[in-house]
Amino acid sequence: MRILVVGGGTGGTIVANNLARRLSSETRNRKVRITMLSASDKHMYQPGLLYVAFGQMTPDELYRDQKSLLESSIDFYVDPVEKFHLDKNNVVTKSGKTHEYDILVIATGSRIVPEQIPGLSEGAETFYTEASAVQLFKRLRNFEGGKIAVVVGVPHKCPIAPVELIFSMHDYFKSRGIRDKVEIKYHYPIGRIHTIENVAKWAKPEFDRMGIEYETLFNVKEVDIANNVVRSEEETESHYDLLIAIPPHCGMEVIEDNNLGVGGWIPTDRHKLTMNGFDNVYVVGDTTNLPVSKTGSAAHFEAEVISENIASIIKIGTPVRDYDGKVYCFIETGHDSATYAMFNYKNPPDLKPSSQPMHWFKMAYNKMYWTSVRGLL
Amino acid sequence: MTTQTETSVNDDLQGLIEIAQLATAARDAMSDEIVSRMAGTMSEGLILLDRLTRNEGLMKLLQVLDRQDSQNLLIAFSEAIHTTSQEIAAAPPAKGGVGCLMRVVRDPGTLEGIRFLTMLGKYMSKGLREQHRHGD
Repeated sequence: MRILVVGGGTGGTIVANNLARRLSSETRNRKVRITMLSASDKHMYQPGLLYVAFGQMTPDELYRDQKSLLESSIDFYVDPVEKFHLDKNNVVTKSGKTHEYDILVIATGSRIVPEQIPGLSEGAETFYTEASAVQLFKRLRNFEGGKIAVVVGVPHKCPIAPVELIFSMHDYFKSRGIRDKVEIKYHYPIGRIHTIENVAKWAKPEFDRMGIEYETLFNVKEVDIANNVVRSEEETESHYDLLIAIPPHCGMEVIEDNNLGVGGWIPTDRHKLTMNGFDNVYVVGDTTNLPVSKTGSAAHFEAEVISENIASIIKIGTPVRDYDGKVYCFIETGHDSATYAMFNYKNPPDLKPSSQPMHWFKMAYNKMYWTSVRGLL
Repeated sequence: MTTQTETSVNDDLQGLIEIAQLATAARDAMSDEIVSRMAGTMSEGLILLDRLTRNEGLMKLLQVLDRQDSQNLLIAFSEAIHTTSQEIAAAPPAKGGVGCLMRVVRDPGTLEGIRFLTMLGKYMSKGLREQHRHGD
């Protein structure tokens, strides 16, 4: 039995490691072979980028060698897939090598596409890459006062990021003693301040308390760099001295190029996590088109279901678990407090008051992440 | 006048207050850096523990070392390391040559040692062949 995992992010790594653990005797007896193909030999802890943007972490803390995170029984190659031949059960990589499989796990993730909005790449700061997070920190550190506009592209990874950014900025400028000189205006594309209703209800009084101005139904149309103005599809506009964007995201180009899903999102069964029409192809993390948040935690919970089901198919011939849409998001509500949102397909989140112990839990998780991707937590 | 029950309740409350004070003191002493360092150490420790406990070779070695005869061997080995290091330090440099080699070979202890190493080699290669045959 050949299991091929394409993509070495959170979802792919947890699937591969969990499978290696569950099928240790089968891999030792060479009845099962697990292979991972990735575009990089490095693994990045992406949630850490927000901390980099506020000088709380340095970029080197976010990386580990991918090979060091994988169980030794997993064959790992840095050789991204270019062609998916799902009808022939094989993929072809950039180096030209063909990998046959019996079970395929697609975990290629997502990417930012700020270029979809005119002027956004050139005119807005962001924190979704290492370089942009460092750049944002430098801009914030040199900012002495004025108007900051925060705009949100859709869809985007980590739905909590826009509100976390606001909370962090409020605390950052407060700690520098210039909060009264900084106007922060938040723009959100739908009719409330967050896509998750309970988060919106919880965040609104917090924004009011912190003196955050907000405009809803603001879908970014263009950034006029010359005049420092951002305009919306709804024909409104905001002036700024510093523009920060949560950029829109797409699935990876290879998914679209192979006609696996529009926008790079693969149509996926919401419970079985298989690709529609292919029972031996699983999809995990950002790559799915599921109506759940594109976060590491969703990828984690999906990965556990996928690996348990693949292992049980090999052992008893049938899957045993369904994914219930579970997501668990930490929400940093400042530099020393946090809360969390846990929800699934049926139950919306019920947010608790923020506290310092929850912030420490998040700080601890930033380190425990590496234990998590190894399939231990 | 305070009843016995009231005194007991007061003692309990005092105990709770002290625990709360301890928790508050611990919280005040903590910082993001301390939490991160502790979590980092715990994370690495867990990974190391996981590697060790799932290492079949190491687990087998521990099982074997649990047996008394293996422990005797280990004790003898430890003592041999100590004695050897002392003797090597005190002994003059070897002169070499066939005569010297003959004197070493005639020593019963050296012959026992060579027999031990030969047996170890024999059983190791037998074990390795078995493992390869079973595809482990």
